[in-house]
This record gives sequence, C-alpha cells and structure tokens, in this order.
Amino acid sequence: MIVRPVRSADLPALIDLARSTGAGLTTLPANEERLAHRVGWAEKAFRGEATRADADYLFVLEDDDGKVVGISAVAGAVGLREPWYNYRVGLTVSASQELNIYREIPTLFLANDLTGNSELCSLFLQADHRTGLNGRLLSKARFLFIAEFPQLFGNKLIAEMRGMSDEHGRSPFWESLGRHFFKMEFSRADYLTGVGNKAFIAELMPKFPLYTCFLSEEARDIIGRVHPDTEPALNMLKAEGFSYQGYVDIFDAGPAIEAETNKIRAVRDSQALVLAIGTPGDDATTFLMHNRKREECRITAAPARLAAGTLVVDQATAKRLQLKAGDQVRAVPLAVENKELSR
Amino acid sequence: MLVMRPAQMADLADVQRLAADSPVGVTSLPDDAGRLGDKIAASEASFAAEVSFNGEESYFFVLEDTETGRLVGCSGVVASAGYSEPFYSFRNETFVHASRSLSIHNKIHVLSLCHDLTGNSLLTSFYVEQPLVDSPWAELNSRGRLLFVASHPERFADAVVVEIVGHSDEQGDSPFWDAVGRNFFDLNYAEAERLCGLKSRTFLAELMPHYPIYVPLLPDEAQEAMGQVHPRAQITFDILMREGFETDHYIDIFDGGPTLHARTSGIRSIAQSRVVPARVGEPGKGRLYLVANGQLQDFRAVVVELDWVPGKPVSLSADVAEALGVGEGASVRLVAV
Repeated sequence: MIVRPVRSADLPALIDLARSTGAGLTTLPANEERLAHRVGWAEKAFRGEATRADADYLFVLEDDDGKVVGISAVAGAVGLREPWYNYRVGLTVSASQELNIYREIPTLFLANDLTGNSELCSLFLQADHRTGLNGRLLSKARFLFIAEFPQLFGNKLIAEMRGMSDEHGRSPFWESLGRHFFKMEFSRADYLTGVGNKAFIAELMPKFPLYTCFLSEEARDIIGRVHPDTEPALNMLKAEGFSYQGYVDIFDAGPAIEAETNKIRAVRDSQALVLAIGTPGDDATTFLMHNRKREECRITAAPARLAAGTLVVDQATAKRLQLKAGDQVRAVPLAVENKELSR
Repeated sequence: MLVMRPAQMADLADVQRLAADSPVGVTSLPDDAGRLGDKIAASEASFAAEVSFNGEESYFFVLEDTETGRLVGCSGVVASAGYSEPFYSFRNETFVHASRSLSIHNKIHVLSLCHDLTGNSLLTSFYVEQPLVDSPWAELNSRGRLLFVASHPERFADAVVVEIVGHSDEQGDSPFWDAVGRNFFDLNYAEAERLCGLKSRTFLAELMPHYPIYVPLLPDEAQEAMGQVHPRAQITFDILMREGFETDHYIDIFDGGPTLHARTSGIRSIAQSRVVPARVGEPGKGRLYLVANGQLQDFRAVVVELDWVPGKPVSLSADVAEALGVGEGASVRLVAV
C-alpha cells in the first residue's frame, strides 16, 4: 500500500468511494462534477500552483495492484475564501447568592475562530480494507507531508470529527436545532456543504448565541461527541497530540479537534534520513516513510531499522517509495510509543 | 355607592384581603402586610408630592363601598416603569433567514430581552372582587386611573404600559416559565413570582437570558402560551384593549403574558373624556358614565347614569356630588363607560 497524490485518472474510483460513505462526510460528496473540480485543484496544489487559501492536498491509498481503496486530504487553510463556521461551546452562569441560585448553561456561540488553520479532512477507507496498517497509514501519511512542507500549512491543524447520528443518518442535534432554520433533511444540508454551497449556512443559521437548555436533552448530550465509527480515528489523533478545545460542528455538533502543527508527534519526531536497502530484521519497528517529494510524493508504512543515520528497509518498500539506496527519506515510527499514550 | 379614591394606611388590612385573593402573577399585590404598607405609604407620598414630571411616584387606588366601608377592588399606576432599575420585557422580533440560491425564506420569531418600556407609566395592581367582574365597576376600577392620568398629565409619561398575567395551569405551573425561566433559576413559576413580589422583578430579570431566544426551539406548549391571558386577567385585558392599547409587541419575561402599550394621549378614556361644569340636581336617565373630580389627594371617581349633552354642564345627584366632593359650578371629568 502507498499513499500518493490524487490524479484525474482516479476519478471513477473516487466516485465509487463517495457513494459508499453515506451521510456525514461533507468533504466527499458523490457528485462527479464537484469531485472532478476537486481533483483538478488538488493536482494544482501538488504542483505548487495554488495559494494556501485554495490548496487542497488530496491523497489516495493505492494497493500494490494500483487500485484506489481510500482517500485522505489536508486543506492548506480553511475559511479564507468563504467563512468557516463552528460553534464554540461556552458557558453562561446564572447565579444569585441572595436567592441561592447557581445554574450553568452551556451556550453555543457561532464563531469563525478556526479560520486560517489547516484542516485534516476527507478520510475514507473502503470497508474491506479497514485492516492492518491501512487506516493509520492513510491518516498519518498527511503528517509526514506536512512535516516535509511546513510552509504550505498553518501553525495549527484542525480536524472535524463526525458527530452522533443514528443508523438512519438522523442527527439529534440537527433535529433539535438545524431543522428549525434550514427546513431540510440533515443529509441534504450535509450534501450542500460538501458541494461547496456554503453561503446558505450564513444565510440561514441563527446568528445569536444559543442556550443549550433550549435544545432537546438528546441533542445536548451529544455536543462534542463523535459517532461510534469515528471513535478509533479520534483516539488516533488524540494520541498524536490533538485535543478538543470546545469547538463543534454547526450541523451535527461533532468535535473539531486541534493541535499545533509542529507539536504533533508524527511531525515533531519525524526525521530526514538516508535510505538503505537490506533486512530490517525481526525486531524492526513499523515506520511511516515519505520520499520527501511533493508532486511525486509517495508515503508508505513498513518495518524499518535505524542504523547510524540510515533507515534500513527491504527492497519492496524502497520500490513502493520509488527510491533507491542512498536517497533521502523522511520517517517516523507509525505507532505512538506507550509512554506517550499514557502521558 | 362604589367610589374610587386614593388608598390610605387605614385600608391596609382590607387591601391585604384583596391581595390574598389575587392570582399568582400579580406581583404588585403581594400578600404581605409589610410590602402593602410600604406601597400605601409610597402612594400617599406620591399624591402629596409636588411633581412637574414623572419620577418615582406610584399611585394606588381602592374601590370602596361607601355604605359598608368595605373595599371591593384596587388598582394602581406607577409613574415610571423601572424608575430606579431597568424594566425588562421580551420584544417579539422577526428575522428573515433567506437563501436565494436554495429558494428558502424563513421567518424566524425571536424574543429579545429589552428595556424599551422603561420610563413609561405602568398600570398595576388591578383587582376586583369576583361579583364585580363584567360590571361597570370593573371599568371604573380600571379606567378611573386613566381619568386621573388625564387630569394630571405632568405626573405621567407619554406612553402607558400594562403587563397582563399570562397563562398558568390549575397547578400554578406556567408552560412558558417552564420552558424559559426555569432553566435559569431552577424554581417553579409560583416560587419565582413570589420572589418577584418580595424582591423585585428586576432582581430576577437580571438573571434571565440576555441573548435573544429563538422561539422555534421552544416546546409547543410554551409557544402557545406566548401572549395568552390568564382567565382571571381577561377582564383587565378586555377593558384596556377597548381603550386602544396594543398587544403583540412585548410579552412578559416570566409567564409570556402580553404586555400592552399605548400612547397616553391616544387612550380612549383620556382622549375622549371631557371636563365639564357640574350642577347638582336631577341627573335624568341616559347612559353610564365614569365621572371623576379631577383632584389629587382628594381624587374620587364613580360610575353613574347621566343624561348629558356634550357641550353642556352635567347634572349630578346630590349623593354623587357628595361622593365626588364637588359642589355646584365645580368641574368634573367624564367619559362614557
């Protein structure tokens, strides 16, 4: 498996993938025209022809037979072309010592606070490939790319995690809030955002802060919570240093987590090394490796061994990276060390 | 004869009897001798004060059965709502959330906490005993105040408001309160209204949500309760609506009852009342009028049947003239019931 930049030729495969996502992945709408447009922009971005505001680094996960089985992306910046909305979950305290009253009322403030940050988005892996290292490779590959080209990204990286919805795609938060203002189904609102029709959010959303006591109990309970399917992705990003700072999605109230780019473990700990071809050995660690290229970027995960400034990998891995012995490689252990996890 | 006059300290016990029977939500009539005593004292001071523009005064009237000396109703006017502290209301507002590209056009009803009505004169403390509801004396009890305002315009603002008690059920629970205020206080409606009476409404209002409330998020029962009138307040509401008060713009922040407002000069009893010379004699048969003597501390108002021709003096019976404390040649202010 390798992660590489998307190409126009991948379009049919992408459409198949998009059709299988269901509701909730706003950045991958099953709309051919829109996807083609997106791929076009991604190609520009990898060629270095897009400003940060427009840059959309869309990667695909390809198996050794050349079949595309997943995608992931990083946006150079959010909110620099159109407003980027989140709710900030704040607090209103209603208190009077004299009356012996003290009430805390979580309050949602519509905010553009996350504007200008880079965003991890569009992570999707075909169901029958959700095994082994695939998920981690597909997601974390982006960190190596960011570590290699920090100037293309913001100081902070965010990721919007899919919020709670039931098996019918019904979001309690949407039912309690959005529906009153949008008069449409969640899936349609989700689709419209995905295809880039974001102006309608500003036009239809409530502009004043919202006291959550006016939402249903069900809706209140899921603010900042992820969909069970997203739990592993959330844990993985948390282990890399992401944290929830009180921002949630305006539609499904899923958390928008964030991290300072250079403090993300896989960015911070990655190092440039010289590639050596050999036998990594039985006790080799699984490394995430990047060939340090932008347009010809290839990232993979495989056992490797550090030896005096070199990274020893087997021949097949070098081939996947399109590298030969003596070439430069950027690498970081794929897994977070236990001490880091427990910190 | 039932005569409206300023309340005196000697009325306290009788006033408390009336207050005890007034519905929860009429916070201006707490069943509390201390507070009612303060209210009467403030009223006496207000009637006695030299006033050139409306300030902190509050005027409290009682309706007395002169044959028995028993009080059967009361009412009041506060010269300036929220004189020393803000007067809170919810203003009904409409926001249009429209998207041209999606052909969506939503009118969103929002309640905004406001102080718009601060400084307006405020009608308060209306209560009549049950048998008098739907009688001309209920009109006297309410509109007699307006005749007083008409005779002493310098003492009042150029707009008048009144908060009508809103809907609450047999258990004394208010759906509007339960959906809105309760979240911020954790008190039931009756407890909250009791606190309002003991402290002040502003005291509680300051704990209310200061950001606007999106009405579509409220439960249906609460939405339906907005602008609804408590059955026992219907009489006040009806009388004042006939006087030209407007509803729909403001509601009470606690129970969602309507807050009515009107330009003082446009209120029917003020705009249409006439000051005419009085004669003592045979009143004749005609129609019912509210008649007030136009005085201050000795203010009196009654409802009587008169045969009055506009532009002419009015003939009052000796009893009525005595009750009003007017003699031959004095002028009185009158308006048809």
